[in-house]
Amino acid sequence: MTPLQKRAWWGLGVGLVFAAAFALVFTFMGGIDTFDRDQNFRIIVDVLWIGGLVANLVIVNPGLRKPGQLDERDRLVLDRAPRLQWLAVVFTLVAWVIALSEVYHATHLIPAVYLYVMFMSVLIVSTLAQSLGILVGYWRMNRGG
Amino acid sequence: MASARIGNRIRRLRFERDEMTQEELAARAGCTRQTIIALEQGKYVPSVELAFKIARALGVALEEVFQYEE
Repeated sequence: MTPLQKRAWWGLGVGLVFAAAFALVFTFMGGIDTFDRDQNFRIIVDVLWIGGLVANLVIVNPGLRKPGQLDERDRLVLDRAPRLQWLAVVFTLVAWVIALSEVYHATHLIPAVYLYVMFMSVLIVSTLAQSLGILVGYWRMNRGG
Repeated sequence: MASARIGNRIRRLRFERDEMTQEELAARAGCTRQTIIALEQGKYVPSVELAFKIARALGVALEEVFQYEE
């Protein structure tokens, strides 16, 4: 396993733990209404999603700047990873738009707080998809792709 | 259209050089051991630069390491 591959596995693992914690806290400790009116709840949720992003950033990126950590094959995988990231972000946005349009179709009024939640979810998905894109890149390359 | 691929003799050349390890060749050529493994298994075609570095690390001409098969 290359250093980049190891970091991608760690990044994905830590990212999933934070994402699951974020989803569980958000769903079972309050939901969208509590998030809208309770500042303490917002702080807890913010700490979880920003913590996840920072942890992922610390795990995946800095050590790779040392010489000998990446070679041309790793760079090729890194260059291809954003394709999956882009797809994941687009599908997340599509899911949000369809869900919100359907739920609030009758009133035509979507609460503004959803913008913030959408933003958080897109960043979380993008970070997870980066690690996943790297792992998929190695998998495809090992199949001769 | 006929498919073309780049074959190589890295594994054989390593063994002919006192069983040079993949790790050692990787260090000399400036790549990771995993890339050497992928090259030996024919799962990766290197850039021209890396191909030259590997040939130099093995002490032979480029054509002795890599072959163009049509």
